[in-house]
Amino acid sequence: MIAFNSIIKSIIRLGIFLGIFLNTILTYSQSVKGKVITSDKTPVVGATIQLISTSYTTQTDADGNFELNVSLSSSQKLKISLVGYITQEYSIKEGNNIIVTLLEDVKQLQEAVVYGKTATAAAKETSIKTEVIDLKKSYELPVNISELMNRSSGVRIRQTGGLGSATDISLNGFQGKSIRYFKDGVPMDYLGDGFSLSALPVNMLERVEIYKGVLPVSLGSDALGGGVNLVSRNLNKNFADVSYEIGSFNTHRANLNLYLTKGKLFYGADAFFNHSDNNYKVNVKVVDPDTRNQKDAKLNLFHNAYTGYFAQAFAGFKELAWADEIRLDISGFKFTREQQHPALMTEPYGGIVSKQASLIPSLKYKKQVGGLSIDQFLAYNTLIINRIDTAKGTYDWYGNFAPNPLRNGESSRPSNSHITNNYFTSRTNLKYALNLSNTLEFNQVFTQANRKGNDPLGAKFLDTQIDVLSLPSEYFKSVSSLGLNSTFLNKKLENLLMFKVFNYRVSGVETYQSLDVNTTDAKKVDGTTWGIAEGIKYQLNSSNIIRFSTEYSNRLPDHTELFGDAVWIVQNFSLKPERSINLNLGWRISKRNKFTADLNTFYRRTKDLILLVPIQAPYARYENQQNVKGLGTELDLSYNLNNSFTVTANATYQNMRLFGITNSQEAWKNDARLRNTPFLFGNAGLNYQSKPVFNNTATLKVFVFYNYLHEYYLETIPKRLEGSGIFGKAAVNTLLIIPNQHLVNLGLLLSFHAKRISIGTDVKNILNHDIYDNYRVQRAGRSFHLKINYSII
Amino acid sequence: MKKITLKVLALAAVLAVVSCDNKDSDPTEETKVSKYVLMTMSENTLTKPGYVTVFDQIPTGNVSNIATNSTQGMGMGGWRPYKNWLLKLFKTSDNAKGVERLKLENGKIVSDNFLAGDNTTNGTGNFVIANETQGYYWDGASPLKIQTFNPTTLSRTGEIDLTAAVNERGTTDAAILYRSVGQKFLAVKNGKLFANITYAKTNAAQKGFWDDFFPDVYIAVIDIATGRYEKTTKIEGTGAIAYINDNEMYSFDTNGDLYIVTQGTSPTGVGGKSKIARIKAAETEVDKTWEIKMDDIMTGGKFVTVYATNGKLITTIPNVALTGGPTGNINFSEVWDFYAIDVATKARTKISGVPSVTNPGAAYGTVKVDNKLLIRVNAPTKSINGYFELNSALNSATQLFNVTEGGSISGFHKIEI
Repeated sequence: MIAFNSIIKSIIRLGIFLGIFLNTILTYSQSVKGKVITSDKTPVVGATIQLISTSYTTQTDADGNFELNVSLSSSQKLKISLVGYITQEYSIKEGNNIIVTLLEDVKQLQEAVVYGKTATAAAKETSIKTEVIDLKKSYELPVNISELMNRSSGVRIRQTGGLGSATDISLNGFQGKSIRYFKDGVPMDYLGDGFSLSALPVNMLERVEIYKGVLPVSLGSDALGGGVNLVSRNLNKNFADVSYEIGSFNTHRANLNLYLTKGKLFYGADAFFNHSDNNYKVNVKVVDPDTRNQKDAKLNLFHNAYTGYFAQAFAGFKELAWADEIRLDISGFKFTREQQHPALMTEPYGGIVSKQASLIPSLKYKKQVGGLSIDQFLAYNTLIINRIDTAKGTYDWYGNFAPNPLRNGESSRPSNSHITNNYFTSRTNLKYALNLSNTLEFNQVFTQANRKGNDPLGAKFLDTQIDVLSLPSEYFKSVSSLGLNSTFLNKKLENLLMFKVFNYRVSGVETYQSLDVNTTDAKKVDGTTWGIAEGIKYQLNSSNIIRFSTEYSNRLPDHTELFGDAVWIVQNFSLKPERSINLNLGWRISKRNKFTADLNTFYRRTKDLILLVPIQAPYARYENQQNVKGLGTELDLSYNLNNSFTVTANATYQNMRLFGITNSQEAWKNDARLRNTPFLFGNAGLNYQSKPVFNNTATLKVFVFYNYLHEYYLETIPKRLEGSGIFGKAAVNTLLIIPNQHLVNLGLLLSFHAKRISIGTDVKNILNHDIYDNYRVQRAGRSFHLKINYSII
Repeated sequence: MKKITLKVLALAAVLAVVSCDNKDSDPTEETKVSKYVLMTMSENTLTKPGYVTVFDQIPTGNVSNIATNSTQGMGMGGWRPYKNWLLKLFKTSDNAKGVERLKLENGKIVSDNFLAGDNTTNGTGNFVIANETQGYYWDGASPLKIQTFNPTTLSRTGEIDLTAAVNERGTTDAAILYRSVGQKFLAVKNGKLFANITYAKTNAAQKGFWDDFFPDVYIAVIDIATGRYEKTTKIEGTGAIAYINDNEMYSFDTNGDLYIVTQGTSPTGVGGKSKIARIKAAETEVDKTWEIKMDDIMTGGKFVTVYATNGKLITTIPNVALTGGPTGNINFSEVWDFYAIDVATKARTKISGVPSVTNPGAAYGTVKVDNKLLIRVNAPTKSINGYFELNSALNSATQLFNVTEGGSISGFHKIEI
C-alpha cells in the first residue's frame, strides 16, 4: 500500500511537472518545424537549417527533426544544407511542418568530401566512444543480436545456452551488473528477461548502441563499465514485414513488424514467437548407476527448450500542435525456459522451468519547441516470475527419470514460486539549445520496484515458518544527469561535460533465515552518490576524428546484494557502491565507401567491486572485495576491396588486473588478471555482394565470419606464471581453463527485388568446434538456419 | 665326496649370500619415495578454488604453493586423506559433491577417480574407509541408506538400508521434515560403523544445517561384518553433530578411543552446548561419564576441530563469544586459540608461540607428518599462513613453514610412492 501511494504521488508529481512544460510549450510563440530525411526515408542527423537572410540556424536531431522559434514573415525561406547533399530551399509560414528530402550530391560524393550522416552513422562519431551495430543490414538473415554483438570489438556476449538463454555482456573487462541495458534510452529493469539479447529478433530494432565506459546524459543509470542501448526501428514510412526462421534443434522464429500512418495518426504492431529445443550435443560426465563412477559421453541436451511470445500494439499522433509525437504502447510477453543444469554442467535437470510474463502499458511524449525539446517516457507494469522445481526424483543425462519420494525438487533450491514485481518507470529527457554552439541536457530516470510473492517449497524463517518471499521489499532508484554539449572551431571541436546524481532507497526484511523475524522488522537503507564525466571530440579533417572521454562513475548495490536472496545469500547493509574512473582515447579514420579504422584505448580503475563471498557456511553475502585497473586496446577495421567485397576485422586486448590487496595471504594476487574475464579476442569477416542475378531480379550476398577467443582462466593465477606475451600459456596445470575457441559462421542471402522476398541462410559453427561460454557451459555445434522474409507493403 | 659336499655347500653359501645381496637390490622391490603435498584455497568463494603442490622435502621457511608443478582446481577447502590416498568431498574440476581421489602423475597432482552422488544435498560424499577394499559414504539421493564402496577402485559396491533405524523415533512428529543417516558423521571402530541420524526441521536447501529437531544427537551402530544395524547410541543435549565438510571433526586417540566434536544447538551455528564426546575403544556406547563442554569453558563458543594423541586433545577455543551472520567473527576473524586438553584431568593448556587464528573450517586443525604434530596457523593480520610444529609436551609450537602464495592453507599431507 505504501508503495502504491508512493507511485501515485510520483505520478502526480510527474503530471505537475509535465503540465508545466506542456503549458510552456503551448503558449510559446511562432515556430517552424520539420524533418529531414534521405531518399530512402532515413532521418538525417546534423543537417543545417538556416532562415535565409538571418543568423537563425539550427540542426536536425537524432531523429532528423528540427524546430526554429523566430519571428516569421510569409516571404521568408529556409535553406537546408548538408555536405554531401544538394542544398534545398523552402518557403515557410508559421507552424507548418516541413518534410525535406535531401538528395545526394553525386558530384560531391565523387569528390569524397564530408557526408551527411544517418542516425546510426552519427552515433559512431559522438564524443563518447560508441560501438554501433546497424541491424538493418541483418533483418533478412537468421542471426541473433547476441552473435552480432560478439562480432564487435571489446564486446563479449556470454550465454548460458542456446536461443532464449540468459546472457551476460563483458565490455572492456566489465561484466554482470556493471553493465546496464536500455531500450530507447530507458533502463530495461521493468522488462525482466522479456527483451533478452538471445531471444530478441533483429527485426525489432534499428540498431544497438554499445557504450564503453562512459554513458551519455540521455542514458540515466548507475552503470560502472558501460551500457547497451537497444534502439527501436525508426518509423517514417508504411511497412509490413513478416519473416519466419527454421533451424536446427527444432528452432522456429516468426516475426511481424507493421507500421502504418494516416495523416497525423500512426499505428502498428510488432510481434515475435521463438521456440527452440536447444537440444544440441554436449560433452558430459555420465554416472554409472551401480558403480557411481563417471565416464565421458556426448549426448543431446533434453531439457533446454525455450518458448517465448512477444506482442506490441501502438498508436499515436505526430506533429500535433502540442506534441511532435505522442505514442501509447501496450506490450506483453511470456516465456518459458527449461533449465538443463546448474551454473556448472555438473548434473542434469529434467523438470526445472522458469517463466516470466508481463503486460506493459507505456506512454511516450516528444515535443520540440525552439531550442527546447522534451522526451518523456512512463511505464507501469507487473512482472510475474515463476520458478518451478518440484520433481520427486532426479534425471540422468540420458533423460531417464529416477523417482524418489523423499526428494523435493532436483536442485538445491526446490521451488514453486510466484513472485510479483511491480515497476514504475519514468524517464524525462530535456534538451535546450542555449545557442548554436551549446546545448544543455537534463535526464532523469526514476525507478520504483516492489516485490512480493510466495513459495510453498521455498525458505521459511525457522521459528515463525513465515515464507520469506511473502515479506514485501521495495527498491527505489533515481538517476539525474545534467550535461552541457558545446561545439567550437566551426564545430570541429565538440565537448560534453556532465554530472550525475544517484540516489537509492531500499526497504525489506532481513532474510537471514535463522533469525527470529517478524514482518515488523523491515529495514531501510538509502544512499546518495554522484558521478562526473567529460567527453571531447576533435574533427581533424574530413576523415579523421580523435576523441577522449573520462568518467567517475558509481554502481549502486541492488536489492539482492543488500537484502540477500532469502536462501543462501544474507543481507549486507554496509555495502558501498562500486566506483570506477574510466578513460577512453580513440582515433577514427574513415574514407567513404573505402575504409574505416577505429582505434580505441581505455583505462579503468575500479574500486570496491562487489563479490559474493561465504561468511558462515552455508551462507554467503555480497561484499566490497576487489580493486581492478588496467589498460585496453581495440582496433576495428573495415575495407571495401571493390564493389563486391568488403572485409572487416577487429581485435581487442584488455589487460585488467587486480591491485591494492593488502591482506598478507592475498597479496600475491596483486597484478593478476581479473578472473573469468576474456582478455584477448578478435573477429574477421568477409562480405560478398554479387551483381544482380536471375535476370537482374535478385541480389546475392555471402558472409563469412570468424571469431577467435583466446583461452582464459576461471580463477586467479599470479602474473609471473601467465606465460610470456599475450599469447603465452599459463605455466601452471589448471583444470579451470576456458580453452582457445574458433567459431566460423557462413551466411547467404538472396533478395528478390520485385517480389519483396528474401531468403537468408546461416550455418553457424560450421567447423563444429567445441564452443564454451560462461563457466565452461557448452554451446551448440554446427547448426543450420533458414529465414524467409516478405515485405507485404 | 666330502670335498664335493663341501664345495656344494660353499657354492650354496655363496649363492645364498649373492641371493641375499640380490634380494637387497632387487629392482622389483619398491623403494618408497616421500612426497609432501600442500593445498591452499585461493579464493573465499563458494566453489573454493585453490592450488595443490607437490614438494620433495618437507617445506620450511617461506614457500609458494603456486609453481609449475602446481595444480589449480576447485573444492580446495580441505581434504580427508587415507594413508597414501588424497581424498576429498568436492571434485577438483567443478566442485561437484562426491568422493574424489587425487594421484601423483608426472610430478603433479591430478584427479584419479570420482564417486558421484547427489550434488544438490550437502553431505553427499561424506565417507569413511574401513580398509583398502571397504568403505562407506552417504549420498543425498538415498538419505536413509549408507552406500558401500571399494576404496581401491573408488567404485560403489552396494548399500545398507537403515530406514528402520531412522524410524525408531520421530515418525509421528510432523515438524520433522527431513531424515538422513550418515549425512554428517561416519566413523569405523572395532568392526562397527557409526553413523549419525539427522532429524531436521527443514526440507529445503538448508536441510541438515542447524535445523535439528531433537536436542540429542543419535548415532546408529552397524556391524560391519554382517552389515546389520545393531542399535542407536546418543550424545545428549548438544543438538548438532559435526559440520559437513572434509574435516570429519572426530579423532581416534592412540589407545583407540574416539573423540567427537558436536556443534551445539544454536540455530545460527555459533555454538551453545557444543561439546567433545567420547566412545571408548572397546565400547559402542557414548561414554556418559566423560565429556568436555564448551559452555564450561566459555559462553558463546563451540568446538570445530579435534586431534587426539596420547591422552591429550588438541583443539581450538574461541577467545570471545562467537557471532554469526553478516558481520560475524566465527570464520574469518582471528579469535581461535590452540589448546591441549588433558583427557583425564580436563586441564587446558594454551599452546604458546602461536597467535590466535581463523576457523580452520574444512581443513584439519592438526595433522601428523613425519611424526611431527603440525597445527594449522592462519592469522592474516600477522602475515602468518602456515604450519607450526608442536613440541613433545604439547604446550608450545614453532613455525615450520609459511605459505606466501596460493591462499589460505587448507591441507598438508605426506604420501609415499
